[in-house]
Amino acid sequence: MRSPRAVFSYLILSALSTPFLIMYVAFFIQAFSERISLGILPEGVGISNFNFLWRPIPWGLERTTVWEVLRNTVLYAGLSGGTVTVICLLGGYALSRMDFKGKTFFLSLQLLLHAFPGHILLIATFFLLLYMKLLYTIPGVALARASIEIPLGIMMAKGFFDAVPWDLERAAMVDGCSRIELWSKIFLPMIGPGIAAVFIWGFIFAWHEFIYVYTFLPGTVRLMSTLIQAMIATETLPVGLLAAMSLFYMAIPLIFFVILQKALLKVPVLGGKGL
Amino acid sequence: MSFTSMGRTLDWEFVGVENFRKLFAGTDPIVPRILENTVIYVAGALPVTIGVGLLVSLLSMRMAKTAGLFFRTVFFIPRVVPPVVWGFLWAWSWEGTRYGVFNQVLEAFGISPVYWLTRYSMLIVVMANGFLGVSLAMLIFTSAIAGIPVDYTRAAEVDGASYWQLSRHIIVPMLRWPIAVMTMWHLMSFINSYVYILLITGGGPYYSTSVWSLYGYTSAFKEYLYGYGSSLMMILVIVNAILFFLAWRIFGVKRLIAPTRLEA
Repeated sequence: MRSPRAVFSYLILSALSTPFLIMYVAFFIQAFSERISLGILPEGVGISNFNFLWRPIPWGLERTTVWEVLRNTVLYAGLSGGTVTVICLLGGYALSRMDFKGKTFFLSLQLLLHAFPGHILLIATFFLLLYMKLLYTIPGVALARASIEIPLGIMMAKGFFDAVPWDLERAAMVDGCSRIELWSKIFLPMIGPGIAAVFIWGFIFAWHEFIYVYTFLPGTVRLMSTLIQAMIATETLPVGLLAAMSLFYMAIPLIFFVILQKALLKVPVLGGKGL
Repeated sequence: MSFTSMGRTLDWEFVGVENFRKLFAGTDPIVPRILENTVIYVAGALPVTIGVGLLVSLLSMRMAKTAGLFFRTVFFIPRVVPPVVWGFLWAWSWEGTRYGVFNQVLEAFGISPVYWLTRYSMLIVVMANGFLGVSLAMLIFTSAIAGIPVDYTRAAEVDGASYWQLSRHIIVPMLRWPIAVMTMWHLMSFINSYVYILLITGGGPYYSTSVWSLYGYTSAFKEYLYGYGSSLMMILVIVNAILFFLAWRIFGVKRLIAPTRLEA
């Protein structure tokens, strides 16, 4: 199947991806060096750009430390991910196992909501938060952010619940379980990895979120994404610092979930039938 | 809210269709410009997404496994990078001073710096968003190509078809559905997306990269014309609803679910 003409496809793709490779490489090298020249050649290699880890960062007239910002971000993303997880697990269970009026309507509504981008509903969200007195607070923004992910999250959770065999549920019900007990004692332990998946998914999206944070938490509470944006918006780009901080920003969830994944793999997947 | 003149004071003052008249009667001189920008932006980014996405998946599927994976990773990175970082990467790489990445590359060849971000601002915005779309489109197309039964391609090869003929007459026709779905999907997402434009150029210089959705956002949150911003967004909501029901009628519900699963 390999022919000399196959070289052609390598050529085209290489040409197409060169600018991107230059961008990525320049980004990495910039994070670890004082200056770069000719695009990708480092000068003054070192970790001096990472000194924001132990030094305060100027923010307007005040100063802040990266750890404070990080704490806010973790709080926000965790809250948002947690909300998504709880609501999706409850909603997914109901959609998967119960029969009620308007179920099909509700399912298609989820789809419609997902197709509707949350970005254009920002102004309405702004006023909802304003009247709930949650504007400019982390929980408020986390809630607003969570609502964007819930439609797809419910679909995801429904898939996990669908995989649990009916027999287990019937057996528990014969033994006198209520719906809530059934949900918390039978289902939740069975879909452990699924819960983690929904949470991780909600967490990552909240962590990467920019526009909600930028609009609803302006200047008063700092988060990683707004911190980086504020630095882009300055007159002269502090490129080295920005590259280093972006790397830091991206690495944290990665490290977090590599650790989490190991812990998750240790959890024995229950030996239930049909799982 | 779109029928009120709500401003900085947050009063609900009902003004009827005043906002919409301002929009359509030409009282706001920026609107035609915004409309033009939106059309250019969507019409530019959509072919980039679909075309490059198709090209990358077609070519990379043909290569040795690791090489194909490498190129696909290069084009998939935009989707896993946070928006702020992607915005920074573009704003920095195409910076007009001699510190921008591509100006440094040019300097190596002895060419003086080009003011990318001011001169070709629209092009850069289109590319930044287009290549973001490429990552998803490429993923969908690649898995669709991998799903084509080998019999078809083998038969064509036995008959002596070149890879170009193979793609043209067999693979692309078989990808009709994914291409249609992706076109619709990205059409909607480009109409609504403004986050990356906000990050890279902020709509400037002088509204040259402001699209409809960004204008709605800035009028509400920068100029504090909440009522007017809501009207702008209201129009977008209507456009979206129309597009969504078109997609619904054409593709049916089940086919709309498929790409979302892959995205997650």
